Amino acid sequence: MSGQALCYEGVSFTYPDAGVPALCDVDVQIPEGAFALVVGATGAGKSTLLRAANGLVPHFTGGSFAGRVIAGGRDTLVHPPRRLADVVAFVPQDPAASFVLDRVEDELAYGMENLGVDPAHMRRRVEEMLDLLDIAMLRDRSVRRISGGERQRVAIAAALATGARILVLDEPTSQLDPQGAEHVMAALQRLVHDHGVTVLLAEHRLERVAGWVDLALGLDRGAVRAGEPADVIRSLDSGPPVARLGRLLGWDPVPLTVRDARARIGSANGRHGSPSQTTVTPGLPTVAVGGMEARYGDGAPVLRDVDLTIGEGEIVVVMGRNGAGKSTLLRMIAGVHEPSAGTVTVRGRPPRPGIDVALCPQEPESVLFTDRVDHEVAATLKARGRPLTGTAHLLERIGIEALAERHPRDLSAGQRMLVATAAIAATDAPVLLLDEPTRGLDPASKDRLTRFLRERAADGSVALIATHDVELAAGVATRVVMLAGGEVVADGHPADVLGDSQVFAPQMTRVLGPGWLTPEQVAEAFA
Amino acid sequence: MSAHRALHPGAWIAWATGTAACAFVTTDPVYLLVLWAVSWFVYAACRVPEPTARSFRIFLVAGVVTLLVRTALVFLGTVTVSNTVAAALEGLRLATILVIFGTFNAVTDPFGVVRLAPRRFHEPALAAALALSIAPRTVTSVQRVREAQRLRGIRVSPLRSLPALAVPVLENGMEDALTLAESMDARGHGRGRRTRYRPQGWTPAAVVTAAAPALAAAAFFWAAFGDWAELHPPTSPLGWPDADGWLVAAALLPALPGLLPRGER
Repeated sequence: MSGQALCYEGVSFTYPDAGVPALCDVDVQIPEGAFALVVGATGAGKSTLLRAANGLVPHFTGGSFAGRVIAGGRDTLVHPPRRLADVVAFVPQDPAASFVLDRVEDELAYGMENLGVDPAHMRRRVEEMLDLLDIAMLRDRSVRRISGGERQRVAIAAALATGARILVLDEPTSQLDPQGAEHVMAALQRLVHDHGVTVLLAEHRLERVAGWVDLALGLDRGAVRAGEPADVIRSLDSGPPVARLGRLLGWDPVPLTVRDARARIGSANGRHGSPSQTTVTPGLPTVAVGGMEARYGDGAPVLRDVDLTIGEGEIVVVMGRNGAGKSTLLRMIAGVHEPSAGTVTVRGRPPRPGIDVALCPQEPESVLFTDRVDHEVAATLKARGRPLTGTAHLLERIGIEALAERHPRDLSAGQRMLVATAAIAATDAPVLLLDEPTRGLDPASKDRLTRFLRERAADGSVALIATHDVELAAGVATRVVMLAGGEVVADGHPADVLGDSQVFAPQMTRVLGPGWLTPEQVAEAFA
Repeated sequence: MSAHRALHPGAWIAWATGTAACAFVTTDPVYLLVLWAVSWFVYAACRVPEPTARSFRIFLVAGVVTLLVRTALVFLGTVTVSNTVAAALEGLRLATILVIFGTFNAVTDPFGVVRLAPRRFHEPALAAALALSIAPRTVTSVQRVREAQRLRGIRVSPLRSLPALAVPVLENGMEDALTLAESMDARGHGRGRRTRYRPQGWTPAAVVTAAAPALAAAAFFWAAFGDWAELHPPTSPLGWPDADGWLVAAALLPALPGLLPRGER
């Protein structure tokens, strides 16, 4: 039987106490076996749309809901989420927070236990899921002690184990390194192609997903437009770097994948020169790390023999697999963790947290405590004894002036990240550390963040960014440090370090070869 | 490291109940300190890898605080050596029970115990498991938020900027709880008909773990009701505790699970 897996029929939804609706009159059908992508700006309503698929909206949120959603033939208003558990499987943005049990194998069986699946069948199905997501080696591990990528795959396996034919995922690759993201996408594609599962996912890093999906839902302030991925992405004026390149060069249709772009550029090849490299000459050394080793408790060292000197005006991007030691390096430089060997200094002395160095954590929720976005920035300024008059200007530079009076907890994950970044940047510390700052950020917000960091660097400040986002690295870094197994394995100009890598190469490098980093750079050479 | 699943969680429930029962009927510091040491030994031998095991420390601290507070309460009334000692022993008893509880938390996964609960007790068991997991999670959250605010230039102390610590900790706690509740609902929790995946059998090791403290508790109850040994040292007038050799031996029984071969405990 081939029909519609998910139908949104005239769905409008407003959160309690919210002025504007999160979804307006959404009419979309997602056919069985579709691989559908939800795209849209930060805070456009993507999570709301996904959470309506199994009735979490409105059953868990309250608010006013009009129209109806039919999932696998069931009306979500009549059936609460638990009554839809056998047809819709949902993987939230942070899978770690959704795990119920401790052991991977038990976690996989949890949904089936609730559905009353026969034990013999359950046993077989757990094994199938372990194979399907390639996590058999994790079966006895604790869900709290596996890497981010592994957690994501365990969450997907646990969701699918119930036998649900519709899989809904909220930003499944946002915490993963490029290789981990690739694994998850390949696993999803296999589910769609070989098993006929319907997949609906939201994602900002379009370069990771655009080539895999066959249907796109473009969200703009709560309104949805569904269609071919190329059409939708074009209409939203966003897209992966290859799409941006296509737009800059006036290509029609706009390419979505590296392959499309290569085919298109093939004819033009040779017309462009060699890439122009902008090298920043670092000013006076600000951060100095010498022979540093880091360990937690008496475990094995997380970082070994790290030597790093960062000068004024440098923007250093730290990359590496999940668990390579990126966050630890940031915490050492921030001065909250003592090195077990070697030295860390900022401007010649041990770093003073919050004064010489400020760090924006991966979870922005850890710092937000006021009831308004502008108050959040003001709180930092006040603590640092600086005039509060700078608040509006700082919000504007990061591009969140329109959110000034909103409550930080009412914002989307990406918007919260920007608010936290503003609150941290308000310290005006000469060294700014950002841990995975582009989670949940749309390309436009990412551009603004990039501009902001460049302006700061021009004034001689230092930024150190740990991220999995290769396109951010290509766009903002003056230098890239690659970590593996706790050691620095590469350190140099982004064109050299990223151009040299199979895994971490940005899209422009993949299209045109080493040295090419951003669409703007390519467009300039072609003009 | 693999997640702990060697022993039937019911064995640990029985262990904690039996051991705590011993502590419950006595205020003799000799027995209580033996139980305290036994508890620590079992924790050291059988704890699951971090982070669940961290809760042991929380219960240990809670135990010491209880002991101090209970003793300090005496200073609200007439202070004599006898009633100070009596209060301290009372406090020691409560502290020992807390430490036993801390060990239970560190050796088994509270949510694993939920799966074991009969269907009609499922909801209360779940509430209990959630409540148990709150303490360790709050401690981690406090550490994380304090550090994050420090890196933003806001120093949090009990006297200054307390909202900067309390608001994120409480709100994150609420959000986590809600995410978990949503996840459980979305995965069919509470639909009624439940089956169990790979139910664990009662291995000999599990029987030993459950039976040893039960035996100890039986000895203590027999002493309490049969009056053949003194369980409460005299405090008025003050006297030395007169610990019975047999009961000291009984109090050592709950240490047995810590002596089981590694693979089985």
